Amino acid sequence: MDIFGDYTLRLVALGSAVLGATSGALGSFAYLRRQSLLGDAVSHAALPGIVLAFMLTGSKVPLVLMLGAGMAGWIGTLAVQVVVRRSRVPYDSALGIVLAVFFGFGLVLLTHIQKFPNAAQAGLESFLFGQAASLLRRDVVTMAVLGAAALLALVLLWKEFKLLSFDPDFAASLGLPVRRLDGLLTLLLVVAIIIGLQTVGVVLMSAMIVAPGAAARQWTRRLAPMVAVAAAIGIFSGVTGSVLSSYIPRLPTGPTIVLVLSVIVVVSLLMAPQRGLLWRSLRLGVLRTAPDLDPVLMHLYALSHQHPDDPDHGHSVAVIRTMSPPEAKVDAALEQLADRGLARRTADAGWAPTPIGRREAQRILDREAGEES
Amino acid sequence: MNESQVWALEVEDLTVAYADKPVLWDIDLQVPKGVKMAIIGPNGAGKSTLVKAAMGLVKPVAGEVRVFGKSRESAEGQIAYVPQRSTLSWDFPTDVIDVVTMGTYGRVGWFRRCGAAEKKEAEAALDQVGMSEFARRPIAALSGGQQQRVLLARALVQAAPIYILDEPFQGVDAPTERAIIEVLDGLADDGKTIIVVHHDLQTVPEYFDAVLLLNVRAIDSGPVGDVFTEENLRLTFGGRVGVLAASGAGGV
Amino acid sequence: MKSIANLSMSAMLFIAAACGGGATGPADGGNVKVVATTNIVGDLVRTIGGPQVELEVLMGPGIDPHLYKASAGDVRRMSSAQVIFYSGLHLEGKMSEILERIGERGARTVAVAECVPEEELIESTGFSGLHDPHAWFDVGLWSEAVGCVAETLADLDPEHAVEYRERAEAYAAELVALDDWVRQTVEALAPEQRVLVTAHDAFGYFGRAYDFEVRGLLGVSTTAEAGTSDIQGLADFIVDRQIPAIFVETSVPPRYVQALQEAVRARGIEVKIGGSLYSDSLGDPGTPAGSYAGTVRANVKAIVTALAKPGQMD
Repeated sequence: MDIFGDYTLRLVALGSAVLGATSGALGSFAYLRRQSLLGDAVSHAALPGIVLAFMLTGSKVPLVLMLGAGMAGWIGTLAVQVVVRRSRVPYDSALGIVLAVFFGFGLVLLTHIQKFPNAAQAGLESFLFGQAASLLRRDVVTMAVLGAAALLALVLLWKEFKLLSFDPDFAASLGLPVRRLDGLLTLLLVVAIIIGLQTVGVVLMSAMIVAPGAAARQWTRRLAPMVAVAAAIGIFSGVTGSVLSSYIPRLPTGPTIVLVLSVIVVVSLLMAPQRGLLWRSLRLGVLRTAPDLDPVLMHLYALSHQHPDDPDHGHSVAVIRTMSPPEAKVDAALEQLADRGLARRTADAGWAPTPIGRREAQRILDREAGEES
Repeated sequence: MNESQVWALEVEDLTVAYADKPVLWDIDLQVPKGVKMAIIGPNGAGKSTLVKAAMGLVKPVAGEVRVFGKSRESAEGQIAYVPQRSTLSWDFPTDVIDVVTMGTYGRVGWFRRCGAAEKKEAEAALDQVGMSEFARRPIAALSGGQQQRVLLARALVQAAPIYILDEPFQGVDAPTERAIIEVLDGLADDGKTIIVVHHDLQTVPEYFDAVLLLNVRAIDSGPVGDVFTEENLRLTFGGRVGVLAASGAGGV
Repeated sequence: MKSIANLSMSAMLFIAAACGGGATGPADGGNVKVVATTNIVGDLVRTIGGPQVELEVLMGPGIDPHLYKASAGDVRRMSSAQVIFYSGLHLEGKMSEILERIGERGARTVAVAECVPEEELIESTGFSGLHDPHAWFDVGLWSEAVGCVAETLADLDPEHAVEYRERAEAYAAELVALDDWVRQTVEALAPEQRVLVTAHDAFGYFGRAYDFEVRGLLGVSTTAEAGTSDIQGLADFIVDRQIPAIFVETSVPPRYVQALQEAVRARGIEVKIGGSLYSDSLGDPGTPAGSYAGTVRANVKAIVTALAKPGQMD
């Protein structure tokens, strides 16, 4: 296919792919640690860093501006910690405050800098929504190097980051330097964010951090596949967005990438097996025991506990009838339970719950226990 | 008492404050080796904070923690921790064997993967808690009791001399509770020291040799027979503690 | 959101007016207080107004008027001025509401480019019903704006009306001469060499007046984001027509043109960057390009030199 025959498209697609891979991979960890809003805060906090970097150095080189963005983003995370520690403000409010204050400060600086001669040449405003089409080869090289470094660090410290995200207290009890690992993982997130600023801009970057991980979680059950799928989703969105915006005139690249990503997220939330909304409502419809089936299932379950070593030990309908209120239609209920795979007839002409039925009964018990406590 | 005896865990003058409010005040505690000790107290007594401070997860305002006579900082890997189930996000994408293997991370070292040896240890630990068939089960699909067993297996894998468990019997079914007690008894028989933050007064005399009664201050600590008295419980919980008669607490 | 913007703008105007005093009649001490938005307009006003006006220019050199947002200080300055000259035709895209407001409050606002008769304006391809605002690069057309400025100043300050009109006439004559010079200079290029590729469509009027085919990457306003298809299309065009040079602009980031250059290079052709043109702004004051005439000369020289074949310009 000659889609990628064009140099500019190849370059933009490559840059977007790098962005998608790093933000997808590192954003997955942010998602699991419930730090998605942190990605948003860091992206917005980067704005004053970009402008200040220009004001202090007069340089328009993207690497310099990105370093400024990174430092501002990093300081933003520190500011959040200070606010949380020294005041009663809860974590997400602190994130919102830092996001708003830093971003507002960035906008003030942008207005202020208009007066600087030749500031327009730095194209600082374009960092708000990205300027993907103007990626130069050296930009993409920088992005690729930074991205590769971040992903390498992730691979090297994979098990430590996994444990940190799941159970930081246990990690600390093993003697792992949890504070420093946390700082490093946050730093990698900041790197992923600054890689993307040129392509999708400050405002949209948070979507690139949150969305791939959220979508990937719906399709996977283990961490490595989840991170891999998230990276793949990021790459796909980046490349597809680039291609679309190159064929449809006047379609800006950054927002198009985010739109593609959004479609993938919505599809994932609806359609993924096991966790998707459509799936769940279908499954519940089939498996959900009607209120009058629940008691019969529970009786079966309770009876089966009397013979834990003999799953084929059935109990007669008569026994279950005595356990139920007189008006209960036990026979019909047992048939329906059998239809749904929750109960079965045993060799001794009795009834017993199936493994699925057992699990369902336990789930009902757990749910009720949870509601009581 | 032998003065030169080395305590498995020793806490001296420990004070922990949170936003200027004391959570633990001037705690002194000696835990001998091989004992099974319960930490008992009302909500907000600082029980979880005490065990976290013992592991260095929380910074005290004052006081010291010593593990086998050495400072806590140099005692890495000596304590196997089973945190409260509710503090973890069980929706995390991983399976049972993976969680148990996490107990080996402290030993495996940086930049290396867990290998066959670690896998075998994890499988053995799973077997010990009766969860072998669940090895590949995603942890999101576990019941409360199963979750607790997995956390215990993770701690077993560390083969540490001291075990600290935070409310391990909270919300688990009876078979799981029995299974856990069996494991703990086995560990104690092997000379391990077991410290449990416990919520059920009924079972204290049955499960434990020693007890610490805690309510921000250490009310009393020592062998269950001596310390677990109605008077002490009243001091700890303030007010009526109706379960005493049934629990067979030694009275004055 | 809009009502909040309205509210804060009214607040700003109110405060600025309270601090700045009224704007009626010629000021004592002789000087008419004038504000100009772009430095191109400012240069015009300064030339015609002479020592009789106290002029403040909002946008310095190298500033992009498409993106410029008025600060509170600017609003203060505008409120205390007797007349505000701006370019118009939506060049100062982000200031149109402020200018409207100030106009409603009785201050005098004059859109200089709108002094040009409408039939002479170029329709904008991107935005229907609107015109390309970059009228000043057709020197002949720009001289029609001269009269506008002179009449406004004369009206406000009848005492010095004669001086304004005299300077206006002299300047108009200068501009006629400049126009001739441009026509002569571009004669050096053959018709097929006259293709001007720049960062944005600022040179439409230049192209029409002096017979150049003009292509801009970003369209008429720099607020747009160029897509990869725009770069691809323009790169193909450059290779097809064998254009030797493309141009960056002083008030626009050079990255897009650099990206264009890389795209052309990937097609096997080397196109050089022929220089930096002054498109929406004059050069630094104190340099030859600091005046309108100087800017025009600098632009034309750069264009012709870059597009000429080697040895053609001897």
